[in-house]
Amino acid sequence: MNAQQMQIAGRVGAALLGGYAFTWGVIALGVAGLFAAGMEFHDAEHLCNIMGFLVFLAVFLWAFAARRLSRVWVVLLGGGGLMAASASLIQRMLL
Amino acid sequence: MFQNLRLSMAWLHTWFGLVLGFVLMVVFFFGALSVFDREIDRWAIPSSRFEAQPMPSFDKVLKPVFETMQPSAQRIDRLRDKVNGPVPTHFTTPTRWGAYTTHRDPVLGMFVGYEVPNAKEPETLIFASRTIDPRSGVSLPDDQLKIGSGFFYPLHYSLTFYWKNLGYWIVGLSALIMLAALVSGVIMHRKLFRELFTFRPKKNKQRSLLDLHNLTGVVALPFHFFFALTGLVIFAGIYFPITHTQLEPLHELHEELDAEETGLPHKRAGVPAPIGSVDAMVVEAQRRWAEKGMAGDVGFLAVQHVGDANSYVSIYRAGTDRIALTGEGIHFKASTGEVLREDPPSSAVDSVNEFLTGLHLQHFRHWLLRWLYVLGGLAGCVCIATGFLFFVEKRKRQHAKQGSQGARVVDALAVTTVTGMVVAALGILIANRLLPESMATGWPQRQAMERYIFWGVWALAMVHAFWRSAPVAQGRLNPAWREQCLAIAGLAIVAVMLNWVTTGGHLLRTLSASYWPVAGVDLFMLAGAGVALSAARKLKQRAQRVSAVQPNSSGPAHA
Repeated sequence: MNAQQMQIAGRVGAALLGGYAFTWGVIALGVAGLFAAGMEFHDAEHLCNIMGFLVFLAVFLWAFAARRLSRVWVVLLGGGGLMAASASLIQRMLL
Repeated sequence: MFQNLRLSMAWLHTWFGLVLGFVLMVVFFFGALSVFDREIDRWAIPSSRFEAQPMPSFDKVLKPVFETMQPSAQRIDRLRDKVNGPVPTHFTTPTRWGAYTTHRDPVLGMFVGYEVPNAKEPETLIFASRTIDPRSGVSLPDDQLKIGSGFFYPLHYSLTFYWKNLGYWIVGLSALIMLAALVSGVIMHRKLFRELFTFRPKKNKQRSLLDLHNLTGVVALPFHFFFALTGLVIFAGIYFPITHTQLEPLHELHEELDAEETGLPHKRAGVPAPIGSVDAMVVEAQRRWAEKGMAGDVGFLAVQHVGDANSYVSIYRAGTDRIALTGEGIHFKASTGEVLREDPPSSAVDSVNEFLTGLHLQHFRHWLLRWLYVLGGLAGCVCIATGFLFFVEKRKRQHAKQGSQGARVVDALAVTTVTGMVVAALGILIANRLLPESMATGWPQRQAMERYIFWGVWALAMVHAFWRSAPVAQGRLNPAWREQCLAIAGLAIVAVMLNWVTTGGHLLRTLSASYWPVAGVDLFMLAGAGVALSAARKLKQRAQRVSAVQPNSSGPAHA
């Protein structure tokens, strides 16, 4: 693979896998957080699903538009991981 | 890597659009057909050609049927890796009985979800399904394929590729790419509003293709965006199964709190109890709806924890007159008929969600909107198909010079997914009219044969598209386009004729009886034949023009 192909594979990977991980984090944290804040569980779930796909779309496009690919990976994986971990933390506090 | 935003968006639009455009073509086309799925069902199953029926009596008609329903052998087979030890062949503990109907259903679809003993996941259910004639309670043969709701519709959202839900994932990824293609398509073009009104069919081919691509993409943009997004929302539980994995404990906590609050038992009591008269419960539910000024029919009826002291009956009002599928649920204790709960009005979020998914699934009565959906879906097909053609036109002369096969392969795949797909759809309808009522022993079931013929015809169309594709490598047109257009026209007429011959339901009769479900399918196919014929004629004229301009067109000289 030459450098440009590597770049493209990196962008596609970041957009799809990074985008998925980030969206997972958004939905998980959203559901746990809104439920903790008193919203009905399935309401929180539906709301976060709808918003989640719009977030996925935005970060997907950003992964191609961003100047530095490394930052995309850090934000998407790091952010997604942090949000998912926070969601689990909230869940533990509620159970 | 990309010098600016516009270039990065153009790359994304071109390459993701190309790769997943083939899937999107299937999703849009069969989505458009699914708008009339139940009408196509009636065309395909002549014994269901009568008027739509209300939910029949539970006590007299539904209950005896529910009690005899068992999962099919295929479903039991699919259970194999989900069970510890041998797979049961007979299931005895029904968790849920359900029947759903709309204002467009002559026959009634019923399902039973059974508990699976020794399942690896504790809440695994196995489903049995059945279709009955609600006037008599007589079951339709299991192997009659509902081509509309049982094949074209699942193709639309899962490609009928169920292994590990892979089909759903491919369609979901394509929907995300559709959204990305719409946004990136807008960013690529500065003069968006001018393009709304620009179509220059007489300009050069590449220019008019792009005009049509932009026109169908931009005019129907809200439609496409809405359907791609809501399609993802409908299957969010598959794409992001968060509340069944990471947040399962929280979900379980909610379910238990919810059961406490609503008084609807979450689990079986383990004490057997007979079921009372559900018909009396239906009367009570309808009385309560009428009292609220919302008199209506039953859309969905379900019995939970069947045969147990904790069993309850849920009766939902059909959403014929509004966007949400069903609503106003009233729940009764199954053994006594006592009202346990009346669902409160939907919350704000729930209303939004019901609106989004209901508008996508469209089970309400609005024939004009229904036709606009078909047009929107077909506009999406035009948008994607012109995208392919533009891709090919832009590159084929250059590829011809370089001796590259890229444009040729893309063009052949475009033939396969544009005309080949229509040929395959007509193929299954023709097979449906020609196959015997039940297949001889040693043959697959009738409904399986119909599906195999669909895929077989499509594969043949693909072989044909590649076989005839050599001229593209020389910068010329693939004759398969014209030949498959002619095939579409011929097959559509054959399908309409076969409907006449095998059922007697020719157009004069169905039209004079105003039996639109069947007449509509026939007329739609005839209209398709007309479009295909005129396309074939245009393609022939173009081919003649090209060869007149260039009698010696063996080489890539005119590039």
